[in-house]
Amino acid sequence: MKKYALGCAVLLVLFVLIVGMAGCNSYNGVVGLSQQVDKQWAQVQNVYQRRADLIPNLVNTVSGAANFEKSTLTDIVQARASVGQVKVNTAEAPSDPAELQKFQEAQGRLSSALSRLLVVVERYPELKANSNFLALQAQLEGTENRITVERQKFNEVVQTYNTSIKQIPTMFIARLAGYSPKPYFAAKEGSETPPKVEFNFGTPAK
Amino acid sequence: MKFALTTGSAGIRLSRRPVRHSLGEGGSLGEGGCWRASLPSQMRRALTWLFVLGLLVPAQLHAAETLPPKPAQYFNDYAGVISPPVVTRLNSTLDQFERDTSSQVVVAIFRRLESASSVEDYALRVFNSWQVGKKGVNNGAVLFVFIENRRGWIQVGYGLEGALPDAVCFQIVQNELAPGMRAGQYDAALTASVRAILQAARGEYKGNGATVGDKRGGGGPGGGRANRFPFFLIFIIAAIILSFISRRGRGWGSPGFVFWSGGGGGWGSGGGWGSGGGGDGGFSGGGGGGFSGGGGESGGGGAGGSW
Repeated sequence: MKKYALGCAVLLVLFVLIVGMAGCNSYNGVVGLSQQVDKQWAQVQNVYQRRADLIPNLVNTVSGAANFEKSTLTDIVQARASVGQVKVNTAEAPSDPAELQKFQEAQGRLSSALSRLLVVVERYPELKANSNFLALQAQLEGTENRITVERQKFNEVVQTYNTSIKQIPTMFIARLAGYSPKPYFAAKEGSETPPKVEFNFGTPAK
Repeated sequence: MKFALTTGSAGIRLSRRPVRHSLGEGGSLGEGGCWRASLPSQMRRALTWLFVLGLLVPAQLHAAETLPPKPAQYFNDYAGVISPPVVTRLNSTLDQFERDTSSQVVVAIFRRLESASSVEDYALRVFNSWQVGKKGVNNGAVLFVFIENRRGWIQVGYGLEGALPDAVCFQIVQNELAPGMRAGQYDAALTASVRAILQAARGEYKGNGATVGDKRGGGGPGGGRANRFPFFLIFIIAAIILSFISRRGRGWGSPGFVFWSGGGGGWGSGGGWGSGGGGDGGFSGGGGGGFSGGGGESGGGGAGGSW
């Protein structure tokens, strides 16, 4: 009988130990994933900033072309300004879907203004022959690519995070520690599609 | 590798389960648990397998489009348009370049774009599946040429974006590659492009005279193995203690006792987003003449043009 009790006690201790370790592990996992989400969010900000930084240069180059449509340029400048007005926390990924949506809408306006510019430019052979403009165009397209990639990665990291905090046993620990699911970038919007770049969130990049 | 342990009449059994499962993500981390199983043994076995299958399911969430396999050389003319001496020469130039600078520059010439998506998107995915550049440094670049599409594209890893910004890539394709391709002088076009890329990328990083292909003589890197070790240890300790108890206290024996250790599905066990670098014993044979991806990643940097 005594031996039975001893065995029980050892087993219980072992059980508690393992559950405790699993708990710690889960918690650490959630913390790590949450950090990854924030890091990826910073990366998303980074590529959007890169695009915003290209715009003054682009506007200067394009406005140098003889009688270039002023309304297109005004649109871009205004869209860029409105992006600046959307206050987002750059250090931490938003947990409020509305906040992310506001950010996305502002950036979407800038995207569509830029794509309109690149369409309009086709009518100006002078610009198409300007090496400065061509280099800028390559940079702009590259930036759109980067935005796509980083957004996609952001969604993937968020998915991993969201999945993990909904799984047992992490779920309990995440709930205790106050980790909540984070919103995704919307997969596709009409206004979000920049020229010559494919957004295909359907097939994840390998 | 299976793990089964039975201690005589006491009837303590460790559940058999494959130790080597490749969990991509979301594997439940270490659920420890044990219970008295008075279930029939068949049912117990079924439950065990159900549990194991449950662990394996998340690994096969996405099935992607087939991408070209990792190349064995730096200069890969899949279209067969470059003369063999030039291929050999450029290949050794690129090999030497990795020894000098540790940056990996790869050329891939395809007959046509075998994908429904855009060149940019395809090039990015191929780059990341080939893992060009060193892990963490991401100092890789790939020049893609699609003969029938008349397109050239330079995909650049994060670490070379400073040396090869989009504007420079665009200019290389436009000024070095396109004119020769237009004129049908493929050898000259590729030689000039490779020279221009190396010129831009040189000086950005320092090499140590070896390539990733040299180091990876046999057996891939065992990335995630270390992560799982502590769980294994618990597993073994638990087994020893259990068997100890069972031998002392006879009272435990009768109903047969199943013990599970959750086992570690690791986060971040593999390498990056891609195939994880493991199990790639196929290439990089033959004593340092070949290319082997170092685990680099691209974030969409690069540019290209058509002719």
